[in-house]
Amino acid sequence: METFGKANVVAMNCEEFAAIGLDPEQQGEFARAQQAAAREHSIACPSCAALAESWEAARVELHLLASSTSLAETPPRVEMRLRQEFRTRHQTLKTRRAAVVTSWALAAVVLLAAGISWSTWRAQHYAKPAAMAGNLDSAVKNSSVAKSDAENSVAPVADENATLVADNEEDGFTALPGAISADNEDAAIVRVRMQRSSLGAFGLAVNEERAADWIQVDLLVGDDGLPQAVRVPQAQ
Amino acid sequence: MTILKDVPDDVLLRRASRGDEEAFTLVYRRHQAAIYRFALRMTGSAWAAEEIVQDVFMTLVRDPQKYDARLGTVSGFLYGVARNRVLKHRERLPREVALEERNEDGSGKGVLLQDPSTPASWAEKRERTAQVRSAVLELPEEFREAVVLCELQELSYEEAAVAAGCPIGTIRSRLHRGRALLLAKLEILREVPRRVSAAR
Repeated sequence: METFGKANVVAMNCEEFAAIGLDPEQQGEFARAQQAAAREHSIACPSCAALAESWEAARVELHLLASSTSLAETPPRVEMRLRQEFRTRHQTLKTRRAAVVTSWALAAVVLLAAGISWSTWRAQHYAKPAAMAGNLDSAVKNSSVAKSDAENSVAPVADENATLVADNEEDGFTALPGAISADNEDAAIVRVRMQRSSLGAFGLAVNEERAADWIQVDLLVGDDGLPQAVRVPQAQ
Repeated sequence: MTILKDVPDDVLLRRASRGDEEAFTLVYRRHQAAIYRFALRMTGSAWAAEEIVQDVFMTLVRDPQKYDARLGTVSGFLYGVARNRVLKHRERLPREVALEERNEDGSGKGVLLQDPSTPASWAEKRERTAQVRSAVLELPEEFREAVVLCELQELSYEEAAVAAGCPIGTIRSRLHRGRALLLAKLEILREVPRRVSAAR
């Protein structure tokens, strides 16, 4: 493009006219100058003037086409379908969220129950030796097992003393772990028959190879009915 | 609905993504007509346009996170999705584009013009409009898109560039070529009736 002297109008060729001259969306000073140049060119060039005229006619026709569909809108059924889909989708999401929350809550409850059960079992497990001693005591009393009976029972194997680790005190009894020393004036000595493995429950070391053997032991039962000490008769 | 009237689109979409149906409906009502007309003008088929609008908004229902407010307006995003759907539609039915919907008896089903002129001139205009529609639909995809967006939808070059996902310069260039092609087609269409009438 060349500038025409004072009027500051730029000269435009046919190619530029086709590219720029038909473009209505031009703003600013440069655009105004271009429009002026386009007008100048269309006056001077009959073919570009015809092109501009054709384009104007086409624009009118395009405008008619646009106005023929300017009121067109999506049918209402589309909105209904979309809203239905929206509802279904968000309802499903809510249900899923609720299911996830419920699952986690259930899992937490199961874990809590398992924890409580384990803790209860553990407490019972550690309380077992004392309970077992009490049971033994009552069992012996109820069955009226006397010292003489015990002496007449089946004699275990001779070398059991070697496997039973129990210090013989003056009276031959070994205090049980956790036993509270008190006055044992009314204490009774009860002879019971038990499996060697049961000595483990009193905190004594047991030869595991012979844990299943039956032996006789003397229990020193205190005033409170709980075994205080244990003794393996010399014959054992 | 009236409370949400002045709420911006992106805020409405955020609310819609949290399950606010009212917000979603408002977004739909704001944009459905423009997207429908774009699809109608691009495909020339009312049912295809309906399908496209449904697809476009279904995208928002299924995955509202796809719209990123930092990347542009909701309108631009919807035009972009609609454009892709139009392309897919054209790929699916390359030779089956209905230029005009017909009733069962074969009569036209298009939108009626509110024109007080005589029946003869009305029929002539209608025929001419059909010719222009046909010429637009015969333009190559990208040129048609530029013509529809800028000339029929009356979007600015900037908006059209966002909708078409290309720079403004590309839109200008496509529009220029589209206009040239359209002019040529319209000239041919103008010539045919003249020749027919001359032969008579």
